[in-house]
Amino acid sequence: MTDDATRTLGKGSAPPGPVPEGLIRLYSMRFCPFAHRTRLVLRAKGIRHEVININLRNKPEWYFTKHPFGQIPVLENSKGQLIYESVIACEYLDDAYPGRKLYPYDSYERARQKMLLELFCKILGYQNTIFFGGDCISMIDYLFWPWFERLDVYGIADCVNHTPALRLWIAAMKQDPTVCALLIDKNIFLGFLNLYFQNNPDAFDYGLSC
Amino acid sequence: MSGGSARSLGKGSAPPGPVPEGLIRVYSMRFCPFAKRTLLVLKAKGIGHEVININLKNKPEWFFKKNPFGLVPVLENSQGQVIYESAITCEYLDEAYPGKKLLPDDPYEKACQKMVFELFSKVPPLLLSFLRRQNKEDCSGVKEELHKEFSKLEEVLTNKKTTFFGGSSLSMIDYLIWPWFEWLIALELNECVDHTPNLKLWMEAMMKDPAVSSLFIDPKAFRGFLDLYLQNNLEACDYGL
Repeated sequence: MTDDATRTLGKGSAPPGPVPEGLIRLYSMRFCPFAHRTRLVLRAKGIRHEVININLRNKPEWYFTKHPFGQIPVLENSKGQLIYESVIACEYLDDAYPGRKLYPYDSYERARQKMLLELFCKILGYQNTIFFGGDCISMIDYLFWPWFERLDVYGIADCVNHTPALRLWIAAMKQDPTVCALLIDKNIFLGFLNLYFQNNPDAFDYGLSC
Repeated sequence: MSGGSARSLGKGSAPPGPVPEGLIRVYSMRFCPFAKRTLLVLKAKGIGHEVININLKNKPEWFFKKNPFGLVPVLENSQGQVIYESAITCEYLDEAYPGKKLLPDDPYEKACQKMVFELFSKVPPLLLSFLRRQNKEDCSGVKEELHKEFSKLEEVLTNKKTTFFGGSSLSMIDYLIWPWFEWLIALELNECVDHTPNLKLWMEAMMKDPAVSSLFIDPKAFRGFLDLYLQNNLEACDYGL
């Protein structure tokens, strides 16, 4: 069980107290990909933290004192300092905490990582129609799909304030007959991955009945 | 200020050679506010550099090898490393070069500057759409939205109780947002900050900065450029030369 497996706080809930010394607090939601970024960095760097999950459809009134628009993720430290925007929060953690540095030391390599992130954001932003190429499915959608299908197995879902277009695209893709016909069964895929990471040669035949 | 006032390179031009040792090259355009960010940081940190202006209405084919998006600014160093996206170029310069640090060392203060940068992000597209409409439709809706965005920035200064967005002295965030406020001055739209007194004071303080004043845009040339640019005229980028 992960450390963020707690019920969300919603409207009418009591505001949490100050953050205890030696901890940093993350306001989050278990299925949000943006908050997921911050949880990854917290874990990768071994940073002691507590998680408060927010009900994004029924936000507590007090939460708007943490973020003007009630978005997540937000970091709060024991000095009461608040940091928001997932990328800024991740960089803050890398800067503020000792141990393994996640961003490279070399200035050019750092810049390269940031340029790659811009590219990724542009992919998310390139959609102003249902499909990436327009109103009908086309090559670019098929070229992107395999990666998103695999991510979907783990569940992108819910918190998509930032990426409603992507969620719509995934739903639309799943209605395409071609995509449907080749859709990987979630359990079979997970079974494959399990064996694959154990270097088991039978991984590739997982799920076949003969 | 060699190169900064040179004619732009367009389609059919020969690609420039490698960057000489000891210099960094910036691909720019004289009136581009994004490229202005990089030029301000280069000047503020006293970094030896050369400028190649690109005709953004008639881009050289070789330029897409520097930046697949074909946008300025782009930095190229003597190792042939290329960096693009204006904010990334500015941060790279601050990290890679010695001298005065424009970004704070304190992780929280640095994060604050980046949060203000996000707060500012709606201004560039808004200002551009405001300028496109100026002679045509009613732009009161856009003007109202601009006022809203400026009020957010005003709130930052009011809460911090400092002259600049990063504290009592000028720092990275001030340079990053400055070029659009320079446009307001060049286009005599100062009334846009009439209801945001701290922002107005900030603008006056910025004008006193040596890097800002030495790179200040010529209002006449800017207006001439803007006219031609909005008409997609190929000569726009070299207006005034």
